[in-house]
Amino acid sequence: MRSRRLLNGYPKMKRLLSSVTDGKGFDILLVSLPLLFLLAFSGLPLLYNVLMSFQEVDIFSLGRLIRPFIGLDNYRELFAAPEFWPIMWNTMLFVVCSIAGQFTLGLALALFFDTGFRGSSFLRGLFLVSWVMPGLVVGAIWNWILSGDFGVLNYLLTSSGLISENIFWRSDVDYSLWAVVLANIWLGTSFNMILLSVGLAGIPKDLYEASELDGANILQRFSTITLPMMRSTIGAVISLGLIFTLQQFDLFAAITSGGPANSSNVAQYWAWELSFRQYDFAKGATVSTLMIITVMIAAVLYVRSTRHEVRI
Amino acid sequence: MTIQPQIELLSVNKHYGGFHALKDINVTIPKGSFVALVGPSGCGKSTLLRSLAGLESISGGEIRITGKAVNDTPPRHRDVAMVFQSYALYPHMSVRDNMSYSMRLRKASRAEIDAAVADVAAILGLGDYLDRKPNALSGGQRQRVAMGRAIIRNPKVFLFDEPLSNLDAALRVHMRKEIRALHDRIGATSVYVTHDQIEAMTMADHVVVLKSGVVEQQGAPLSLYDTPATKFVAGFIGSPAMNFVGGIVGDTGRAVTLDLPGAPSLPLARTMEPRRQVDVGLRPEHLSIETGGAPGIETTATSVESTGSVTYLYCGGDPEIVVVLSERERISQGDPVNLTIAPDKIHLFDPETGAALR
Repeated sequence: MRSRRLLNGYPKMKRLLSSVTDGKGFDILLVSLPLLFLLAFSGLPLLYNVLMSFQEVDIFSLGRLIRPFIGLDNYRELFAAPEFWPIMWNTMLFVVCSIAGQFTLGLALALFFDTGFRGSSFLRGLFLVSWVMPGLVVGAIWNWILSGDFGVLNYLLTSSGLISENIFWRSDVDYSLWAVVLANIWLGTSFNMILLSVGLAGIPKDLYEASELDGANILQRFSTITLPMMRSTIGAVISLGLIFTLQQFDLFAAITSGGPANSSNVAQYWAWELSFRQYDFAKGATVSTLMIITVMIAAVLYVRSTRHEVRI
Repeated sequence: MTIQPQIELLSVNKHYGGFHALKDINVTIPKGSFVALVGPSGCGKSTLLRSLAGLESISGGEIRITGKAVNDTPPRHRDVAMVFQSYALYPHMSVRDNMSYSMRLRKASRAEIDAAVADVAAILGLGDYLDRKPNALSGGQRQRVAMGRAIIRNPKVFLFDEPLSNLDAALRVHMRKEIRALHDRIGATSVYVTHDQIEAMTMADHVVVLKSGVVEQQGAPLSLYDTPATKFVAGFIGSPAMNFVGGIVGDTGRAVTLDLPGAPSLPLARTMEPRRQVDVGLRPEHLSIETGGAPGIETTATSVESTGSVTYLYCGGDPEIVVVLSERERISQGDPVNLTIAPDKIHLFDPETGAALR
């Protein structure tokens, strides 16, 4: 009230103030702040990255925006590189196996905690610890676990008789990618579990009772009630998993650095290596652009699957 | 020939931790009958129904369906169908798939399923909605789908858990008739849980009144109305509820003096123990206005509500006495009235135990 009286002589100021207090325009203000932020720190770099993938960039032209335009040369060279297809194959293996592992374990844990035994919600909360840990820390921990000489994983496997001699997880070309997959599954399982738990909790219990009376056994209840009712959640979890897995950089940096001999190199790590190790910024941008396209497809799938939620 | 009981509940007990939810329930349900379990919320009626379905396990006693004990039988092997209060329709399935779910589970043939769905849809008038999802249906239609899902199984027993409570008043009255007609048509045995005594009275052959996990009384609807066994049943059955007034039996045992201003005395149809404290129950529809000089309850009308067909008269204050008059009376607020009742319509209850005194 007091401010109104103070502003009596200033109609413009009054209108501005009332637009905030009435809520008119205030919503747009609230939305525009994060939008501007996104545009400045995500949108523009993204466009710049795409632009760079069509240019000839070297260390001397790095500071300029206008550089020689070379069309699809970067792409052509990249596709012709001998490591291109092995790295793409690694990326696909990494993404598919990580998501499969995270999702399967996450769903199993979510179903387990959904039984609601004593202390289940406390234990479920504890699982989130793995997700709040920085990737580099997780990488360091897994470095110790996976260590060839003194790692606890080798100790477990040898003492249980599964292997007779130590596996050098991080330096053996046959195992290095799987070392990172293992760590990434551990890192992402709890996130999958939490989202899937929410989906499970959203299924009304009386549907299970009705289907039980209709004659469904536990497997039939899972396949005819749980899975279809979780469709949108599963779609969201897998699309988000795809996005997060393609972003996973820390673990590669911490555990294998993409080696040995590119045996554990994946697109996201390769892009960084090209740009900041070999200073071939154009090629790095080209790899990134390919990844942007992939992530965008995942994002569309994610949005579609959340839109198709079953309403009750 | 004796009628074989379809369901027998033999001293059924249920404990939730320290809470004794069902106490020694004994109910026998003959084949083809419609039984209502009625009582206020928390009385155990839904627990009893869910125990019958096998969704709850009982702590003691025995449940028999067609003579076989089913205590340890899982729900899917009990051959009972249930209509839930929430309907519990599968939201991701069409009406057709909802109804044929049980048939698809037991791998019935396509032709068999189509024929059964067509039959049930015709009975329930759902033919035009078979391809819709539940969220595209109205409340009444969802209710029918829930019934269809039960009917298609042709089960030994139908269980209804307050199926009409989510419908509006007009639809409720309509569906209540429809459910009863359906029951008669398919010759089913039905157990129906409700908190609404009118539903219980109008639909059931046999009403079981529960209170705090105990069967207060069971029997034919009108017998509960005419001869309630306890004060609770007397107050629960009938609308508006029975009036209760404290009183004392006179010296001769042939009249009761009410604990009201002016200490009115009403003649009794039978001889009671003299000078006994009693609770007197007077049904609103049994009270009438005495215009001659006969002695009755002298009081004043504090409020008058007329619906056109009947008039509700609220008299006195402590306790208030409700009267339902079927004739239009020219009584307005503040008028003195003299209420009388036929002696054989007076109910007497023990003030301590609540048991009816006959």
